Amino acid sequence: MSRVLDVQSVDSGYGDVQVLDDLSLHLDEGEIACLVGPNGAGKSTVLKTVFGMLEPWTGSVMLGGRNIGGMAPEEIVRIGVGYVPQTENVFGSLTIDENLRMGGVARGDDLDPVIEELYDRFPILTEKKKAKARTLSGGQRQVLAFARALVMEPDVLLIDEPSAGLAPNTAAEVFEDVQTVNELGTSILMVEQNAREGLGISDRGYVLDQGTVEFEGDADSLLDDPEVSELYLGGGTRH
Amino acid sequence: MASILQFIANGLVFSSIIVLGSIGLSLVYSIADFANFAHGDTMTIGAYGALVTFGLVGGVGGTFLGLPLGFYIALVVGMGLAAVVAVITHVFVYRPLSTTSIGLLITSIGVAFVYRAGLQAIFGTDFRNYDVPRSGPLPFIQDSLGIAVTARGLAIVVLAAILVAGTHALLQYTTLGRKMRAMADNPDLARVSGIRTKRVILATWVIGSALAAAGGVFLGLFSQIDPRIGFDLLLIIFAAVILGGIGSVYGAMLGGFLIGMIHELTPLLKDVGIPIGIQYAPAVAFVIMVVVLLARPRGIAGELT
Repeated sequence: MSRVLDVQSVDSGYGDVQVLDDLSLHLDEGEIACLVGPNGAGKSTVLKTVFGMLEPWTGSVMLGGRNIGGMAPEEIVRIGVGYVPQTENVFGSLTIDENLRMGGVARGDDLDPVIEELYDRFPILTEKKKAKARTLSGGQRQVLAFARALVMEPDVLLIDEPSAGLAPNTAAEVFEDVQTVNELGTSILMVEQNAREGLGISDRGYVLDQGTVEFEGDADSLLDDPEVSELYLGGGTRH
Repeated sequence: MASILQFIANGLVFSSIIVLGSIGLSLVYSIADFANFAHGDTMTIGAYGALVTFGLVGGVGGTFLGLPLGFYIALVVGMGLAAVVAVITHVFVYRPLSTTSIGLLITSIGVAFVYRAGLQAIFGTDFRNYDVPRSGPLPFIQDSLGIAVTARGLAIVVLAAILVAGTHALLQYTTLGRKMRAMADNPDLARVSGIRTKRVILATWVIGSALAAAGGVFLGLFSQIDPRIGFDLLLIIFAAVILGGIGSVYGAMLGGFLIGMIHELTPLLKDVGIPIGIQYAPAVAFVIMVVVLLARPRGIAGELT
């Protein structure tokens, strides 16, 4: 299987505060890979470094055969990578329709067909087309945040904590949406605080701690690993 | 009653000028992220740009809204000149500075001094006028409403309304306008969405400065031109923008309208037993701004954008 994204020996951080320490991970074509780990492990920092919000201090971020480390986010969007931030991931003062149009500013072609397709896929957005995004509930907002990133039809989608702040049943719906997007051909690198649920829908997983990868492997084997379970999944057995 | 109407009519003209200044100040604040103290002097640059141009093309025949067609050419050149100066300043001064909003604010005070010194060096400090023939009150308004409104006063209000409507259409119905609103809302998400923010910031400077220049030209037409006209209006414009809710363009329009009106209606206070004249108008406008902010700390349209 070919690697669509390959992060190699990256150090990165904010200002002069280092967060990632010699971190390497990759994303295979067509899979969902999930980053789990305690607060402050550097999970979100990985996504920000891949997406150009932070520049890698050392190491490389390879997309296909190209090092995109340090490239600006507005340019990375144009080469097939999308990013759904954890918070403030919709334009609250713009309507749903305008949010989707903003998601497609980098497309050269007519936006209408792809946006219509997204409305078909996420009917909840159709009902609220003309409403300001700030009027949406948490779950609806998350759907809009996805849809905004999908207007570009990215090959790779980076998703930061899709279930954060959502009630369990709403979170389950969001996870279903993640799977649907993946089944339609987008490779997904996801950060998830809710480690069991996140790994549950993923092909592979990485356990991060203190800015580096402590464990990696098939999602199932991580869930079954007693050491990972004990240290990072709050103990107990898989249910 | 006629006297109140007369004050309102004067207020409309003054408000038109303040609104044009306020939009640009608020746009730049929300997208370039700092309070631009050179904005008043940008208005002055527009006024002088139009002055020089009108000197060259004033003879172009025909009139529209009672003003010679040459005046409209001068207006457009003044707006263009202010936009060019603002873009050059942005590219060579503000953009290379990696400093805070406060650092940029202080820098813009310096830029304001440089603009004004430049104008003063070229044109001196004498008062100047557009050589537009002055006319008396428009008879049809005088007859129907009993108030004196000059052709130039009416033209200022109509032209300002057209520019405001144009700004509204741009913000709501064009891709550039949507990008500007998206950036004002959430600059990080704008970049994540693929918006090339540098270009949008440039467009913001162009639009904001051109509108300010139009305000400056109208101010010169309404009274006189000297190198301080824009700067003298700057604090009133800040009051308008803050009253409306800083960062909100529609708030700036509303705040500009209200502050302009309050400013011109101040003499009416003597009718209700508060004997203060027009010279206290800026103070009254600020007092009302503070009172409104006490009730609505984020301004009238503070959360509407």
